[in-house]
Amino acid sequence: MSEVRSQRLRVLFLAAAHLRHEWVLTLCLVSALAAVLAPLLILLGLKEGTVETLRDRLVQDPVYREIRPAITRTFDQQWLDRLHNEQGVAFLIPTILPASSMIHLRSGTASGELVDLVPTAGGDPLLLENSGVIPLEGECVLSSEAARRLGVSSGDQVTARVTRSRGGRMENVDQLLQVVAVLDTRAGTLPRIYAPLDFVVDVESYKEGREVAARGWRGESAYPYMSFDGVVVVSQIPLDPVTRTGLVVNTGLLKAVSMESQDFTAVTGLNLTQGWFAYDLSIPSGSVTMSSVVALKRKLRGRDALLLPYAEGITLTLGEEKVRARGLSISSVWAERLGWPVPPWGELSTTALSPSRLFQLLWPAADVVEKSVVRADFEGIRPLNFPLRVSGVYQPGIALLPAELIGMLRTARDRVVGYNPDSSGLLLERAGFRGFRLYGRSIDDIPLLVERFRSDGLEVVAEVDAIERIQVLDRGLTQLFWLIAILGVVGAGAVLVASLYAAVERERKDLGILRLIGLARTDVFLFPVFQGVLIAILGVMLGWLGYTLLAGVINHTFDGELSDGQAICRLPASYPWLALLASLGLAIASSLIAAWKATRIEPAEAIREE
Amino acid sequence: MPLLTLKQVVKTKEHAGSRFQLLIPDLVVEPGEFVAVVGESGCGKSTLLDLLALISRPDSVACYHLVFSASEQRDVAKLWMENDEVSLADIRRQYLGYVLQTGGLLPYLNVRKNLLLPMNLNRLPDGLQRVVDMAQRMGVSNCLHRLPESLSGGQRQRVAILRALSHSPRLVLADEPTAAVDKRRAKLIVEDFRSLARDEGLSIIMVTHDLDLVQPVADTTYGFHVTQYAENEIHSVCSREIP
Repeated sequence: MSEVRSQRLRVLFLAAAHLRHEWVLTLCLVSALAAVLAPLLILLGLKEGTVETLRDRLVQDPVYREIRPAITRTFDQQWLDRLHNEQGVAFLIPTILPASSMIHLRSGTASGELVDLVPTAGGDPLLLENSGVIPLEGECVLSSEAARRLGVSSGDQVTARVTRSRGGRMENVDQLLQVVAVLDTRAGTLPRIYAPLDFVVDVESYKEGREVAARGWRGESAYPYMSFDGVVVVSQIPLDPVTRTGLVVNTGLLKAVSMESQDFTAVTGLNLTQGWFAYDLSIPSGSVTMSSVVALKRKLRGRDALLLPYAEGITLTLGEEKVRARGLSISSVWAERLGWPVPPWGELSTTALSPSRLFQLLWPAADVVEKSVVRADFEGIRPLNFPLRVSGVYQPGIALLPAELIGMLRTARDRVVGYNPDSSGLLLERAGFRGFRLYGRSIDDIPLLVERFRSDGLEVVAEVDAIERIQVLDRGLTQLFWLIAILGVVGAGAVLVASLYAAVERERKDLGILRLIGLARTDVFLFPVFQGVLIAILGVMLGWLGYTLLAGVINHTFDGELSDGQAICRLPASYPWLALLASLGLAIASSLIAAWKATRIEPAEAIREE
Repeated sequence: MPLLTLKQVVKTKEHAGSRFQLLIPDLVVEPGEFVAVVGESGCGKSTLLDLLALISRPDSVACYHLVFSASEQRDVAKLWMENDEVSLADIRRQYLGYVLQTGGLLPYLNVRKNLLLPMNLNRLPDGLQRVVDMAQRMGVSNCLHRLPESLSGGQRQRVAILRALSHSPRLVLADEPTAAVDKRRAKLIVEDFRSLARDEGLSIIMVTHDLDLVQPVADTTYGFHVTQYAENEIHSVCSREIP
């Protein structure tokens, strides 16, 4: 084996010696190869450099990696969590309603500026890549425009004033914030304040009228709102169709139909006393809000009529037993007139929603201890478990609860409601967020993510055009490169084939002599192959030298346009090897015809040729 | 034991409608023997040399043996039958030397590298010293760094002879090695060739048309008997000349 190898090495030396002997021809071939290679490398370098420079400008600016939804929609936490784990997502933070995000900022005695409040969190590229830091509780980061308008800089304090209108009155709260950074102008030209998500969520809650106990901001406690399937109007005087239509006008209700007594029982769990008439007012496939009930009540003022808001299909599990739950909030006067049980919690109220009044029931069984407390389970979006005080007894299978509690439980079927043992009340939890701000890992992730969102039916805002423009340019230039490369390769291949073949023809006698003095056919086969390889190596070296010089000139010409480390013509470090590999492949392929020709030489004929 | 034994070897060549057949009934070369093959052009000298150089396949063979030593024997007839070109090339490389009419030196190697080539191909040690010594004996030691194209005809043939001998072959074939040189120089070259071969203990088969040139040095002489066998067919028989 080693003998074979040494013979091949000998052939390599002979091939090299021959090339050196015919150095003018060799130089021509090497130059021809280099003349094909150098412009191709320059073209490739320009493509890589240009695209890289353009990308660099985008890559440096996180704006090009940002995606926001174009519409306001509710995004629940699960959806956001899933999105966060999506491939290509580097940073994701939910945002609140745009209307809730405007707050007043004041510095010293100056009058306030209206700025947009944007939530942020650790790892936010918009802040970190624009000379910002991530603000903690009690801190904030300002956009350059906000800082300019307020005349503050990093280290100063600003007062955030959150205002709301509640019951026709303007209310506001103040929060002192420390400015820990001011962002570069590149981060945006709008006046903005970046603060931790918790603060932003609290601002939203306050704006929506709710209380934020942790910050001492007063407001409504966060009871779930009440919703019903309809309202039953009970009257001793029958209502004619005109009156019934009049009842639904301007109440948000749509339909008013008279009820048979068995329908009434099915809906309310009560028996309709002889001589009374019941009418069902509802919104087909919609829910009736408390304000509709209140409006209806106002319309019925002066008429001798009772309102019974109801919700169907509410079942509670009391201990082991599953029972239907119905709401009944009426005064004792009405209860006695209609012969119904007297609920100790009294008549319907929009304000008396204290837990001690709401969490009561009339027990649906005989064997019961009054004033005892039972646990009730309810299947809402999230399972609810809460205590109910037994205030009396009602017929088996039906538990009578305050209508207000039934309304809240109905809401718990649409929205997440929790039971807070500390305040002993039901709490409406966040429905989710109204938007988000997302950053991709790289600009190349953005078109893919945008495509994903759009196919999911979510319109998003992203600087995808700029990215796609570069990708289109990249693809176009790559195609152009390959077209020119194919032309170049065909040309260079033809030159190599012709030259190596001609060399074998010229060398017939010498190759015959080599056969005569003991080289095998396989050895002379390698003669042109080695020559091709040597020419390829020299050609790549010369071509790379040409490329390096030319690239230097080109980069020098564009020096003024570029920042440090950027180059208009640049190739990755692996490219000389790729060029070498490609050239070797081409050279070897081109030498095969010549090599075959060399093996066909018969020494007996060749050595006598002159 | 003879180095080379050929019996009833036939080679036929066809060219432009005419046939030429060479028959070698019996050719034997002893170790150290100088065999001269003398004939006019067209009698089959080159055909014989190609057969002996193992670059031409005989049509039929009764016996074609090469015996280099008791353990190193080659049945060339069998190798041709098996078409074992690699083994034939090995024999050429190791045991044969060939002096071409026009030298046959590689034009892109200088004299020294030309002389070293057969030794390198056989991976023989101390090549350079041997080359220098032999060049001195052959009177071409001042040419070692020159390219073949710059040599005179006589120098070129001397270098060609040296190259055929450099790797210590057992049999050297010489094809009119002095055809391009004047008679006086040719005689000197053949004498030097003869003495060098004798010192090396190798056999020579030299083909020439010039009987006067080889008669003083040849141990054995072979000649050709050519007959016009048919209109387009010539038969030539190579046999030993009785002195």
